[in-house]
Amino acid sequence: MDRRTLLKAIAGAGTLAATGKLSAPALAQGAAARTLRFVPQANLANFDPIWGTQYVVRNASAMVWDTLYGVDEKLEPQRQMVEAEEVSSDGLTWTFRLRPGLKFHDGEPVLARDVVASLDRWTARDQMGLLIKGIQQDLTAVDDRTVKWVLKKPFPKMLLALGKISTPIAFIMPERIAKTDPFKQISEYVGSGPMRFVKNEWVPGAKAAFEKFPDYVPRTEPGSWLAGGKRMLAERIEWVVMPDPATAAAALQNGEIDWWENPISDLVPLLRKNRNVAVDIADPLGNIGSFRMNHLYPPFNDVRARRAVLMAMSQEDYMRAIVGDDDKLWKPLPGFFTPGTPLYTEEGGEILKGPRNLDAAKKLLAQSSYAGQPVTCLVAQDQPITKAQGDVTADLLKRLGMNVDFAAIDWGTVGARRAVKTPPGQGGWQMFHTWHSGADCINPAVAIGVRASGEKAWFGWPEAPEVEAEVTAWYEAKSLDEEKAAIRRLNKAALDNVVYAPTGFFLSYQAWRKNVSGVVKGPLPFFWGVAKTA
Amino acid sequence: MFAYVVRRVIATVPVMAVVALFVFSLLYIAPGDPAAVIAGDQATPADVERIRQSLGLDRPFLIRFGEWVWQILHGDLGTSIFTNLPVTTMMAQRFEPTLSLMVVTMCFAVAVAVPIGVLAAWKAGTWIDRAIMAFAIFGFSVPVFVIAYLLAFVFALKLEWLPVQGYTSLSEGVWPWFENLILPAIALGCIYIALIARVTRAAMLEVLQQDYIRTARAKGIGQQGILFVHALKNASVPIVTVIGIGVALLIGGAVVTESVFAIPGLGRLTVDAILRRDYPLIQGIVLLFSFIYVLVNLLVDLSYTLLDPRIRY
Amino acid sequence: MSGPTVTSVPPGIAVAPDLPDLLPAVNLGRGIIGFLRRHPTIAVGGTLLILMLLMAVLAPYLGTVDPTALATARRTRPPSAEHWFGTDMLGRDLYSRVIYGARVSLLVGFSVAAFASVIGLAIGLFAGFVRWADAILMRVMDGLMSIPPILLAVALMALTRGSVGNVIVAITIAEIPRVSRLVRSVVLSLREQPYVDAAVAAGTRTPMIILRHILPNTLAPMTVQATYICASAMIVEAILSFIGAGTPPITPSWGNIMAEGRALWQVKPFIVFFPAVFLSVTVLSVNLLGDGWRDALDPRMAKGL
Repeated sequence: MDRRTLLKAIAGAGTLAATGKLSAPALAQGAAARTLRFVPQANLANFDPIWGTQYVVRNASAMVWDTLYGVDEKLEPQRQMVEAEEVSSDGLTWTFRLRPGLKFHDGEPVLARDVVASLDRWTARDQMGLLIKGIQQDLTAVDDRTVKWVLKKPFPKMLLALGKISTPIAFIMPERIAKTDPFKQISEYVGSGPMRFVKNEWVPGAKAAFEKFPDYVPRTEPGSWLAGGKRMLAERIEWVVMPDPATAAAALQNGEIDWWENPISDLVPLLRKNRNVAVDIADPLGNIGSFRMNHLYPPFNDVRARRAVLMAMSQEDYMRAIVGDDDKLWKPLPGFFTPGTPLYTEEGGEILKGPRNLDAAKKLLAQSSYAGQPVTCLVAQDQPITKAQGDVTADLLKRLGMNVDFAAIDWGTVGARRAVKTPPGQGGWQMFHTWHSGADCINPAVAIGVRASGEKAWFGWPEAPEVEAEVTAWYEAKSLDEEKAAIRRLNKAALDNVVYAPTGFFLSYQAWRKNVSGVVKGPLPFFWGVAKTA
Repeated sequence: MFAYVVRRVIATVPVMAVVALFVFSLLYIAPGDPAAVIAGDQATPADVERIRQSLGLDRPFLIRFGEWVWQILHGDLGTSIFTNLPVTTMMAQRFEPTLSLMVVTMCFAVAVAVPIGVLAAWKAGTWIDRAIMAFAIFGFSVPVFVIAYLLAFVFALKLEWLPVQGYTSLSEGVWPWFENLILPAIALGCIYIALIARVTRAAMLEVLQQDYIRTARAKGIGQQGILFVHALKNASVPIVTVIGIGVALLIGGAVVTESVFAIPGLGRLTVDAILRRDYPLIQGIVLLFSFIYVLVNLLVDLSYTLLDPRIRY
Repeated sequence: MSGPTVTSVPPGIAVAPDLPDLLPAVNLGRGIIGFLRRHPTIAVGGTLLILMLLMAVLAPYLGTVDPTALATARRTRPPSAEHWFGTDMLGRDLYSRVIYGARVSLLVGFSVAAFASVIGLAIGLFAGFVRWADAILMRVMDGLMSIPPILLAVALMALTRGSVGNVIVAITIAEIPRVSRLVRSVVLSLREQPYVDAAVAAGTRTPMIILRHILPNTLAPMTVQATYICASAMIVEAILSFIGAGTPPITPSWGNIMAEGRALWQVKPFIVFFPAVFLSVTVLSVNLLGDGWRDALDPRMAKGL
């Protein structure tokens, strides 16, 4: 028995004597042993995965709601709530048949009309969903377990859209809740998944609790990411928000928490030394850091200025700033797609490879329209990734001889300012930093950052018709080889134009106590199959 | 006396009004858009605008302010933009930890500071006095989080006597509740010990010079008696005043302590809300803090009548 | 220090009485050295503070390198011959950052003390003399005082962006109410004094009254309070950086060096240790100075520290 427990027992005995009330330690021991305590990457501030698209909301929602399809480890969509599907020969009609015995957490069965309402709400907010809605003829519930979706044009990536990991995921909610305006939040959290959200214990910003839903019927296949059987082995899961990483590290070592989603890499050697703690890579799909330049105004409206920055930047600096000394955690990225995925390519990436040539970069910058004006860089200080990147960028631009206007703000302000199209100096911007999860960069459908459709593109508004042409080619590709060819051309075009600047590919760790089994690597923490022994 | 209390209560209204207007205006002109954060990376400007409209953020200042004041007068502090929960619920959830922390800290600080302040006054000029004052100044000079980290490292991580983080509600047992508050209260209390000890010493010294103390000595009352009965009662007015001021400062210090020890309190909630621009929540919390401050000051002023019969309202 | 005596006065003219000395006599005794020997706290505090100031001013000559130069390959190295205090998370030399950081922290401390004192003085005087403004101003000051300073500062930082200037503005606004209350209370108590009445009766204009009678009396408590404001401002800057709303890291300050190293204090404690020591010593010295100065001004308190 460790010292804390002994002291607690003595204190407990004392309290019992003094107050006649059995103090909590004795009871808590039993309950704590069955509760899995998890520290998430961020605060769970809201709980509507369609309305609020933060990763942490998605991760929690994956326990509470189920989906029609789910991608497995190989990113192939597999059936989840669906028992069988059928596509008409012209590709225009999709028919889905639900599995028997699916129930919501209020005991009601999952019916086709719930699916219809949920898909309706989802397609209003999701990129791929909006594409489908644009070509939608009809979405109806044929009977209680059958849904029919009729389109005006074929959409071969339908199953991927319904089963993908990037937010928002197509979760299935009860009809009355799904009928909420997609731009307003839901207020009831009745789920269809293996865990029930305990709303009255939710303290936003501090704690969230989930309890096993006994009437959930998992599929028979073994679980693999969002596919297969979601067998819950933990009775109760508590999410504990810890703003201070040092405190989380201490708590993990002490056994006050069981699983930490993202320990910072500098603390990992300390955790590894503890014989009760295991550490491994969290998400093999990793993350891609980036900064985006504003293509509308000088100096970065001139491709030479953009390429000069690419010529001078060192991805190693950016990556070390984010992940630290551990070389296993990062890779250079001469492109826009996730390493280790089918569409990864380095075509056109020579500018980012090899030793850095600062003089050549300065010469190129001098040829461009840069006239010494201040370059406004938006750097969110409350996100460690952007904060680290911001420091490296300030150093980079200074060495290039540019005049840096460093705007140290918070992520919310970045979100507001980056949308503004006024000239820099009048509230506009020339550069901002961000990052994307690897799962969101596997193909052009989900990788919004690589699109170059000018006005309709993501912030920075790059315009490159040659890139867009390849996106269309990818959508229309009929085989993987055709897809890869299109992506290779896309990569080169996007790098030539510098749609945005990738700063590198990085991974992060997750850490858990050794009495917790079943923790797997994945783009989000998967709680099925995870058990805690005393 | 009753009239005095009523007058004071009425006088708080303009103060609160100033606070309300100030906070509201500040948030109105602050850049940063909660709608953009909510809409996420993939949203179009049209989406963001729709969310802004549904949150009522696109209406003019006076309408929004008027509506908020009207709501407050009906006891409704509004709904948080992010969590969709009522502001009162969110504040109620986080109130107990912060209140517990503040109460324990204050009790601890007063219990330590008043005796050592008295001791320093009694032994004024000797090395004991200097040592105590040096310790007091030291507590004032080291940042709270440094003390917090040191305490956590020694007592929680290495010696394993106390938990590293977290908060247990009082309803789950007195000792677990207290156990979680010991280290944070010590960390936060160091500043207040310094402040209160210095004021106690100064006030006691002032009192000890007075004629009535000499009279008491002449009457033959022993040292102990003089100090604790006569002098302390007379010195208590400034001591209680500084405790009142300390409460306002305590709220700020609680932010750091709550962050380091992962206590789900109001301090952390406010900082998170400010950074996210959750306007209704920020407004509600700042009003609450102001109200508490005003209330504490009123109680302090009223306590003067108990402590010093010469003070009458 | 009495004024010249009038030797001959025409009959029938009343002579205004000499005004009593209000500024307590600071006994300089046997010169500055004697003064310092009798007030060791001023000596210690003052010396430390002057050392810190010298360090800040002479930073480029103290063996420092560019505090913003990154070298990510050499991040978080412990103290060594090459990097006396080690390196931080981006490979920047901590010794240089700490030395240059003194500039920011001292600048913040002194600026806030100066601005808050001046503005608070102005408001306090105005409120003390102009009756109709008193009620309004004091309600506004009460309102500002009831908002916790840290939260006020965070909100003001969120309003604009992180920079040294904004940190100074934010903390100053939070400190003004206290100064103004102090000044106002001095003004109110002095206004009732007979010699002030006499001065008014003799036709002295208000500005002269302020200059001759009010200001000298506010100087003593104000200077003492200014030292406390300075110390408090330095700590608040550290806390603001800790929360993430302080000076951005391209300008090193003790607060933001500690904030960046906070997650690593268990494995790389030197990142937090050095700036913490420097900050504590500086704040300590300012506090000692303030205490000693207050004791020197008020002889009854002069026993001991």
